Amino acid sequence: MSWRTNLGRALACAVLLLVVSLSLAANWLAPAGYAKQYREAADAPPSREHWLGTDEIGRDRFARVLYGTRISLLLAPAAALLTTLMAALVGGLGGYLGGRWARGAMAVTDLFLSLPWLFLLITVRAMMPLNVSPLASVLVTFLMLGLLGWTSAARVLCSTAGSLRESDFVRQARASGICGWRLFWIHVLPNLKPVLYAQFWISIPAFILSEANLGILGLGVAEPMPSWGSLLKELEGMVSVGEEPWKFVPLILLVVVVTSFQLVLSKQEEVAA
Amino acid sequence: MQSEVLLAARVSVRYGDRPAVLRDVELKIRRGEVLGLVGQSGSGKSTLAMAILGLLERKNSRPEGTIDFDGCDLLTLRERELRGLRGRKIALVLQSPLSSLNPALRIRTQLREAWRAHAAGSNANCEDAIRAALESVSLPSSDEFLRKYPSQMSVGQAQRVLIAMAVMHRPALLIADEATSALDVITQSEILKLFRQLNRSFGMAILYISHDLASVAGICDRIAILHQGQIVEIGTTEQVLVSPQHEYTQRLMAVMPKMPQGIALGRAAAN
Repeated sequence: MSWRTNLGRALACAVLLLVVSLSLAANWLAPAGYAKQYREAADAPPSREHWLGTDEIGRDRFARVLYGTRISLLLAPAAALLTTLMAALVGGLGGYLGGRWARGAMAVTDLFLSLPWLFLLITVRAMMPLNVSPLASVLVTFLMLGLLGWTSAARVLCSTAGSLRESDFVRQARASGICGWRLFWIHVLPNLKPVLYAQFWISIPAFILSEANLGILGLGVAEPMPSWGSLLKELEGMVSVGEEPWKFVPLILLVVVVTSFQLVLSKQEEVAA
Repeated sequence: MQSEVLLAARVSVRYGDRPAVLRDVELKIRRGEVLGLVGQSGSGKSTLAMAILGLLERKNSRPEGTIDFDGCDLLTLRERELRGLRGRKIALVLQSPLSSLNPALRIRTQLREAWRAHAAGSNANCEDAIRAALESVSLPSSDEFLRKYPSQMSVGQAQRVLIAMAVMHRPALLIADEATSALDVITQSEILKLFRQLNRSFGMAILYISHDLASVAGICDRIAILHQGQIVEIGTTEQVLVSPQHEYTQRLMAVMPKMPQGIALGRAAAN
C-alpha cells in the first residue's frame, strides 16, 4: 500500500475524529441549544455571536450544524448496527442452514428489495400524527433505514455462510460431534465477523446520505430537531452560490464526512468483496 | 480381539438421480485392525467415509443397505443418535490439515470444543484431556502452543492437532480420509508411524483411505481396492501386494513407483 493511501487514510481519520469531537462538545460550544430563536436577528449573516449566521426564524446555524452532526453521526451507526444484525440473522443463518432455509432467506431478501422504500417511508410518515415528537421522528427515520437497508448485506452473508457450511473445518467439527447452534456460534460466526464488520462500517456513510436525502424531501427528522437532511433543506430557495456561502457549510460537512468515511473504509470494502 | 467385527457395511450410495457412486460395497473392519481403502479419485472412497459418519444428508444423497457398527445399524439412526457417535466412537481426520482446522479459532478453543461435544466437566478436566491428547500425538501442550492459530503452525503440526482432536475420546474407529496425501514424504512417514502407534496403544481400528498404495502398504493389516464404486479385491496386505488378483489392482501395482534398478543393485551390494 502506498504512503499516499496511508496518509489519505490518516487525514480522513483525523477529520472524522475532529467532527465527532465537535459534535459531542455541542453542549459546551453552543450552550443556548439548537432551538433558541433570536428573533431580532433572523436570517442574519455570520457575526461574532452567530458564527454561521441564523436561519429564517433566528436560530443559530452553528449550533444547529453541531447538534445536527451529532444526530446524523450517532444514529447512522445505530441504523447500521440494526442492518448488520438483520443481515446476520436472515442471510448468515439462512446460508448456514442451507436448503429451504437459504431459499426462504433469499425470498424474503428479494421481497424487501422489491419494496418501493421511498413510498413506504412516505406512508409511514403520513400515518404518524402531525405533532409527532422530534425524538420519535428521529427513531422512526433511522429504524426504517435500518429495517430496509439489510438486504444487500444479507445476500453477501448468505453466500459466505453457505460456503463456510461446506468447508472442511465445519465438516471436521461436525465429525467431532459439534452441531446446531454451537457449530454456528463457535465455528461459523467468527468467520463471518470480517464481513459483518465491513458491512457495518460501509452502511454508515450510506445511511448518512439516505437521511440527508429524506431530510430534503421533508421525510426525515422533524423540526425543531436538526439533522444534516433538514439543514440542507435550507438550500432549496438559493438563487446564487456567492450570495450566502455560509449556508453551504452543512453540505460541505456532509461531503467531507462521507468522503472521509469512504477513504477510511476502502480497506473494509476489500474485506467484504 | 482383532477377529471381532467392529463395522460391517453393505451399502450403495447415489446422489439424486445420477448413477450410484457406491454399488453394493461390502466391507468389514475388525476391532483394532488397520484397513486400507485404496482407489483413484472419484472411486467413492470419501463417500463411504461420509456414509459411515452419517454426513451425507446435505448432499442430496441416498444411502441404501446397512452399516452395522458396534451392534447398531448406522443408516437407521436418527441425527441426534449419530451426533452422539461422531467424535466419541467414530472419528475423522481429513486430507488438508490447515483447511480442516478453523482459521479463526485458537488451537485450545478447537480442542476444547471437541472435548465438550461429548464430555461434561470442569475446565481443569478439559485442560487435562487437551494436554493428554496433545502428548499422545507428540505435540507440546504448553500455553504458548495452545494460543496459536492454525496459520501459525506447520502442516505436520496441524495434522497432529487434528489427530489429537480425533483421538481425544478414544474412538473405536478412526477414519483417515487421505490424511497423509497433502504432506511431504518425511511428515507423511511420521504421521503413518503415529497412526500405527495410536492403533497399538489404544486398540483403535483405523480405516485408512488413500489413493497411494505405497503409504497404505506401510501401515495396513488388510487392503480393500475400490474401483468404480465397487470393492474389486480385499485381502491381507501381503496377499494384495504380492499376488494381486483383479486387473485393476495389477495396474495399480504396475504404476507404483520403484527404485531404479541400478540404484537398487548398488544398495544391495553395499549392504
